Amino acid sequence: MGIKNEDRLKDIDTIKSRFESLNYICSREIATAVYLAYHLEKPVLIEGPPGVGKTELAKTTAKMLDLSCIRLQCYEGLDESKAIYEWKYGKQLLYTQVLKETLGEVLQGAKGLTESVKKLQSFGDIFFSEEFLEPRPLLKALKEKESCVLLIDEVDKSDHEFESLLLEILSDFQLSIPEIGTVAARKDKKPIVFLTSNNTREISDALKRRCLHLYIPFPEAELERQIVEARVPDISKQLNKQLVAFIQELREMDLKKVPAISETIDWAKTLILLHSESLDTELVRETLNVILKFQEDVETVSAELSAITGRAIKDK
Amino acid sequence: MSEIRATLVDFVKVLRASEIKVSPAETLDAMETMQLIGLKDREFLKTSLSMVLSKTPEEKDAFGNCFDNFFKFEKPKNDHEPGAAPPDQQDYSSENKQEQTDRKGGGSGEASGSSEEDSEEIDEETTLTPNSELGKLLLLGSRAELMVKIIEAGRKVEVKQIVVFTQKGLYTRKIMDDMGLKGLQDEVKELKNLKGKPETNLARKLEKGKEALREQVRDYVEKQFLLHADETGKELREELLKKVKLSNLEKRNFKDVQEIVVKMAKKLVAIHSKRRKVFKRGQLDVRKTLRSNMQFNGILFNLKWKSKKVDRPKVICICDVSGSVSNYSRFLLMFLYSLAEILPKVRSFAFSSDLGEVTTLFEKNNLEDAMAKTMRDYGNGSTDYGQMLEDFRSSILKDVNSRTTIIILGDARNNYGDPKSEILREMYDKAQRIIWLNPETRSSWSAGDSEMSKYSPACHQAEVCNSLVHLERVVANLLRYAR
Repeated sequence: MGIKNEDRLKDIDTIKSRFESLNYICSREIATAVYLAYHLEKPVLIEGPPGVGKTELAKTTAKMLDLSCIRLQCYEGLDESKAIYEWKYGKQLLYTQVLKETLGEVLQGAKGLTESVKKLQSFGDIFFSEEFLEPRPLLKALKEKESCVLLIDEVDKSDHEFESLLLEILSDFQLSIPEIGTVAARKDKKPIVFLTSNNTREISDALKRRCLHLYIPFPEAELERQIVEARVPDISKQLNKQLVAFIQELREMDLKKVPAISETIDWAKTLILLHSESLDTELVRETLNVILKFQEDVETVSAELSAITGRAIKDK
Repeated sequence: MSEIRATLVDFVKVLRASEIKVSPAETLDAMETMQLIGLKDREFLKTSLSMVLSKTPEEKDAFGNCFDNFFKFEKPKNDHEPGAAPPDQQDYSSENKQEQTDRKGGGSGEASGSSEEDSEEIDEETTLTPNSELGKLLLLGSRAELMVKIIEAGRKVEVKQIVVFTQKGLYTRKIMDDMGLKGLQDEVKELKNLKGKPETNLARKLEKGKEALREQVRDYVEKQFLLHADETGKELREELLKKVKLSNLEKRNFKDVQEIVVKMAKKLVAIHSKRRKVFKRGQLDVRKTLRSNMQFNGILFNLKWKSKKVDRPKVICICDVSGSVSNYSRFLLMFLYSLAEILPKVRSFAFSSDLGEVTTLFEKNNLEDAMAKTMRDYGNGSTDYGQMLEDFRSSILKDVNSRTTIIILGDARNNYGDPKSEILREMYDKAQRIIWLNPETRSSWSAGDSEMSKYSPACHQAEVCNSLVHLERVVANLLRYAR
């Protein structure tokens, strides 16, 4: 990593413009979080409604820093054998079978049981060495030679117990494996850790305490326009403006699921595909199912469709 | 640097007072952040600190307010010293943060020296420049210097400890004393005694300065009060409200109480939201074991034991809404609905004689409306527990099973009607638990038309419940037993 990345994360503006060149438009808060994460060597817990680019942030950071991105997707029932390490039982079994014959040769000359055991013990714990260890994402991230970005996605989906498992790696960048000892990340090659959460449940205080907390809200109109422009470069300025104004208004309404940025982008792509230059009521009605994912919501919005569209078109 | 640290610690205290949980470890992180960021860019520092110190969206909001209030330096409004003021004011408005550090740095050295000399130095000279430290400061010093002195003095007399607003005068006085008010007053007296024209002039000027200073100090104390004491006062009030009898609550307190209820409910949610598995140690789960050991060629490396997840309680809540107890049921319902996260299956019923379900009503409306509608529909008429139980048996009893908890809230005053306690007995046999909450004290349970003595044997638990503390205890118990 060294000087190169130090340079890329020099200050907030540099980070912002670098993100922009990778088509990720971010607010100052987000850039600040990345800056702090790198310089304070602390994990970042990202919260916010779905579809605002939480996971994307981690991926883009990895891309910006030319690091590999190791992702751990959390789900209910995720445990240490899937997240940290596992012993390669198969290999261990196979080796014992193969070595059975050799064992006789090794033990030649040993008299009695005590001597044999002594001789065996002098070989150490061959079967519980790194050779037989299958590293899972967390361990992999620590052992990575060139540092990396570790993305622990949707922590809120995992069990409470798993959260506690994360504490060691989050605070000290190390993991304890009973049979081997402690595996720690190299100094100044510590991974940059992002955790994302959709707030389906409260994350424990112990975990929160160890992280920087970044809340990504829905973006302001101006920022959203920039995002759409970066992601859908073909879109006309006029359509972009109307589209964002429409979406922003929807977010004010009482809906089951309000459209997120990803929906805005999808919608923009749809409209481009339909060769439309500006919004009108009919067009919106036909494409409404791109941005609204519940029939209930579609009905609510349909009732006021023409009014909202009118406002969005007029809005300068 | 140590000055900045002290300021930061003060800031953390303020944060804690406005309900942002900040651990010592986070305070250390904040120091580190401050060192990394520096103090030049105010917004940058604010976002950075908010990431380190506040960990939920609500906390972030509160943090924003606290930060703005704590690190606020207003322009002084009236300036009567012409020379020094203008450049300083510019500094104030443009670079608040920078200004603060400068002052902090310079302030500590000066203050220790000056305050000691203050009281000893009584001037006899009659030149046109004032001689006491404070006088000099008032007429010749800059606004910034004065403010530093005020803050220094404030720290010394521990203005942070202020609790109630009546102490404002006291602390204003204390700060001014510390700044050398006595020296100033002596000087003014001296000057007046001399009766020369320039002397009286100077005396008048000094008096004017003193008044202005008093105002400024008052302002400062006011601000400190808002920062430190307002929230402490609130805590005191909340503690009090929790213990007060719900029937004695006045309408204006309802909002506060609602807040408290939500807070209590949140606490309970945090404690109980984790679903425990109960392991039956000793019972091998053959299917699971075989499945997980398939990868080892069927050799049993990992043994899996049977476990079961404990179900959340199903709660049915029956509230008497006749006039005498409606206040209590109101809060019980509020409590239960705030617990929606861990009690997904709450059904509520209201009655004074006929029983009616109000579950959807409470889900769809806010509390005020729901309560009003419930009162309108069920509130009138005299209480008839027998009829209520009859209704319950005919329509709801079939939904009751061994995982259901039934909470009945009422005073059991049946107007000498038929109590029909045999129906309650039937419910008792079917349900997991029946809890009766009675707002009246135990001594009046068997007096008059109260049927409590007949009902209570058919309940698993009969409790007095007339304050928020009681409510919290009951619900916490409910959650615990559900395990």
